[in-house]
Amino acid sequence: MPASLARTAYIQGSIACIPLSLAVAPWGLLAGSMAIEANLTPLQGQGLSAIVFAGAAQLVAIGMLKGGANLFSILLTTLLLTSQHLLYGLSMRPVLSELPTRWRLTLGFLMTDEFFALVSQYDREQFNRWYAFGVGFTFYLAWNLFTLAGIVLGQNIPHLDKLGLDFSIAATFVALIAPTVRNLPTVVCVAVALFCSVLFSYWKWETALVAAGLLGMAAGFICQKCAGAR
Amino acid sequence: MVFVLIFAMGLLVFLNRYAFLEPRLPLRLSSNARQFLGFAVPGMLTAICGPIVFLPEHQLDLSPANPYLLGSLLAVVLVLWTRNTLLSMLLSMGFFFVYRGWLNGLP
Repeated sequence: MPASLARTAYIQGSIACIPLSLAVAPWGLLAGSMAIEANLTPLQGQGLSAIVFAGAAQLVAIGMLKGGANLFSILLTTLLLTSQHLLYGLSMRPVLSELPTRWRLTLGFLMTDEFFALVSQYDREQFNRWYAFGVGFTFYLAWNLFTLAGIVLGQNIPHLDKLGLDFSIAATFVALIAPTVRNLPTVVCVAVALFCSVLFSYWKWETALVAAGLLGMAAGFICQKCAGAR
Repeated sequence: MVFVLIFAMGLLVFLNRYAFLEPRLPLRLSSNARQFLGFAVPGMLTAICGPIVFLPEHQLDLSPANPYLLGSLLAVVLVLWTRNTLLSMLLSMGFFFVYRGWLNGLP
């Protein structure tokens, strides 16, 4: 691909990711300030965001470290909390597994909920690796910058988790999902996923989200099969 | 010790992300599997939103005084009406913070 086209696609990807990058600000700030609060060094706090790059897992791991949990239980929790990535990988396998190794490794590392939300809608023909890289890398930069800000500001941010900034994530995802709900199987999928996610989260399951997502997907799939058989 | 943990977590998360992208993994997705995975976007993204919208402060809140709920409904209406994701997101966020501020300002 000519360099100018690659650059255009990269910039388009970066722009597409700006709303979600801003939406993640409270979590990034929290990840940074919580790390300091849990007596991690600034380098360790930043290292979590730079190396692990998974919001929920980072926040829970910091909380567990503070509570004196052992290495194994933190790793097991990490595995459970990030298991939805397996699903994203499987879903994007037809497109991403065909790329050269360095692209697979890079885009694999950058795969997040947000990356999946923005990139998975493209099939083999429409997929652009530079667009995907623009989305993923912009999000990575934003996440790390907000973490840094959290580390620097530390506990000077009052009641960050009570500001309601998490609504930005919901608003973005809702705006991405709503237009895709065009037929009965998708309605069923969304309804089941919604109900189960609320129920399982209320029960504080570590795998609440991925379990709810899978059940919703299964419900939609079964509904589609039944409709097709008739 | 902490850095051992950080690298181990990083490795685990990366393996989760990368596992199915590896072409040498002997796995061909059947037509059924592809149809199932077609529901990944609505299924997973909905599951992520559910608790944020319905369980603020970890309590089920179905009342109109739940700004997350009204804000999300507004986002749905706006995006179906305007077909503009960014605009719908920004407007519903604007509404959310104004409404929330108004609720908190009540005596």
